[in-house]
Amino acid sequence: MTTPTLRVSNLEASYGQIDVLRGLNFEVGEGEVVVVLGANGSGKTTTLRSICNMPIVDSSGTIEVDGVDVSNADTGSIVARGLAHVPQGRGTFPELSTYDNLMIGAYVRKDRKAIEEDITRWFDMFPVLKERRNQTAGSLSGGEQQMLAVSRALMSRPKLLLLDEPSLGLAPIIIENLFDTFSRLNSEEGVTMLIVEQNANLALNIADRGYVLEAGEIALAGDAEKLKNDPAVQEAYLGA
Amino acid sequence: MELFVQRCFDGMFNGAIYASLAVALVMIFRATGLLNFAQGEMAMMCGYIALVFLSSSDSGIAGTQSIGSLLPGHPWPTWLAITGAVLVGFALGALVEELLMRPLGDGSPLAQVNVTIGLLVLLNGLVLQIWGPFGRSFPSPFPSGMNDHFLIAGARLRYTTLGVWAVLLVVIVALGVLLRYTKTGLAFRAITSNRDSAELVGVRVRRSLMLGWGIAAGIGALAASLVGGAIVLEPLTMMKMLIYALAAATIGGLDSPRGAIFGGLIVGLSQSLVPGYLGVPSELSLLPPLVAMVLVLLFRPHGLFGTVPVERV
Ligand SMILES: Nc1ncnc2c1ncn2[C@@H]1O[C@H](COP(=O)(O)OP(=O)(O)OP(=O)(O)O)[C@@H](O)[C@H]1O
Ligand SMILES: [Mg+2]
Repeated sequence: MTTPTLRVSNLEASYGQIDVLRGLNFEVGEGEVVVVLGANGSGKTTTLRSICNMPIVDSSGTIEVDGVDVSNADTGSIVARGLAHVPQGRGTFPELSTYDNLMIGAYVRKDRKAIEEDITRWFDMFPVLKERRNQTAGSLSGGEQQMLAVSRALMSRPKLLLLDEPSLGLAPIIIENLFDTFSRLNSEEGVTMLIVEQNANLALNIADRGYVLEAGEIALAGDAEKLKNDPAVQEAYLGA
Repeated sequence: MELFVQRCFDGMFNGAIYASLAVALVMIFRATGLLNFAQGEMAMMCGYIALVFLSSSDSGIAGTQSIGSLLPGHPWPTWLAITGAVLVGFALGALVEELLMRPLGDGSPLAQVNVTIGLLVLLNGLVLQIWGPFGRSFPSPFPSGMNDHFLIAGARLRYTTLGVWAVLLVVIVALGVLLRYTKTGLAFRAITSNRDSAELVGVRVRRSLMLGWGIAAGIGALAASLVGGAIVLEPLTMMKMLIYALAAATIGGLDSPRGAIFGGLIVGLSQSLVPGYLGVPSELSLLPPLVAMVLVLLFRPHGLFGTVPVERV
């Protein structure tokens, strides 16, 4: 087997006294779309934050990106390996303009011209952002900010995209557009994705595989098709 | 008339000092969202270091002998000494961030501000210990003899005043370009806006903060070395300057370098004009700038040029 883009082994995490993750093991292969489902508070956000070594999380275990151990690397150098993370809620820079938010998303890139092209690309994808180009991100609506957060992450042209509830607060038509984009980014540009999503139906539709997280442990794993037909998943996440 | 113009010129000179220190405060505020109360003392320390660089070894000023033997061509000419002091200032600033601010973590802004107050006291004591309580003056980098001035409406506009303002304007333009048009500046703004996300886009937050502190302290060092020629440097000089500079920065808007300049001018002018005309005794010379500050804040709570924060809905 080839080296997976992301491999997580024995990941444990806690906030002070509270244990949140109890030994997670999973992988995301190159070019795969993997979805993580789980109830509120099951540790999904904590998992993504641990992968990037973001502050507040106390974690142990091994994180490998493209076979390189980044468990002790700082967030900046993990991101420099081609990973982008759309954090849950408020991932934007409220005091910066929409345009500057996109610019800083490309912070690790040097190809100035291609950066401008990408900005145009995401402006075309979300025309409302183009209209709000010079407005501060903080003055955008919640949904507009979410579009901006996603576009900002894509500005780094990531190989591996971590998405923490990208559909949060968006109108159904926008969500559909967004997942369409994810799907195309994956099939046409080979971007690997790890998506945390409450909108399980939509997520499983574009995913290859999925994991179900329960109280900090992986309760269920398998192909997207299999999960979709799993009675427990259907009851808990698909509202069947 | 002559007296009025003269007072304006005097106010302009002091204003330049307040403005440059205020710019340093603004720089730290832009990069970290904090006020550095030790800014004045850090600057003063660098002023003394400039003094050491340019004094001959037998001047009796502490440090000239030991440092002089290490430096080629010591004592240095004024401009070189100032450049040296600015570099030392830059290093001092970066070191303060690395050794004091960073270990405290980002979660405790109040603790960090308190530490800057501690640093103020420490540096002040250190300067007193090393260089003693005496006032020192040193050569100005600008011509500053009896006749080095323009006569305008009978009042003297000293070359030093013009020189300090010229340097200040260059600094402010350079800083404006850095903050507004460069990637580094964008990173500074991103860090203040959302630290977590700044890390997530790959901004090296630590490095940026060290740079921010370094630039600020370098500007402070420049201020202290430039005024050395015109006022006497003594361990208490900068305490007062800091208060005026804080007023200047607040008037201008804490996140606006441009505002710091106008704030410095307003403070300098109010200080030199108001007491003369309204008969405020010199013991209360702090009063007019503070009144000016309150007046400005009444009408513009975020200062003349400060960013009004966006309301989140
Ligand atoms: N900063 C924190 N301090 C203490 N406990 C925390 C902190 N952040 C999260 N937790 C706890 O960790 C657990 C997992 O949180 P996490 O945010 O990872 O859940 P989640 O699966 O993302 O939930 P949601 O679907 O609501 O986003 C929760 O019980 C939460 O209370
Ligand atoms: Mg979450």
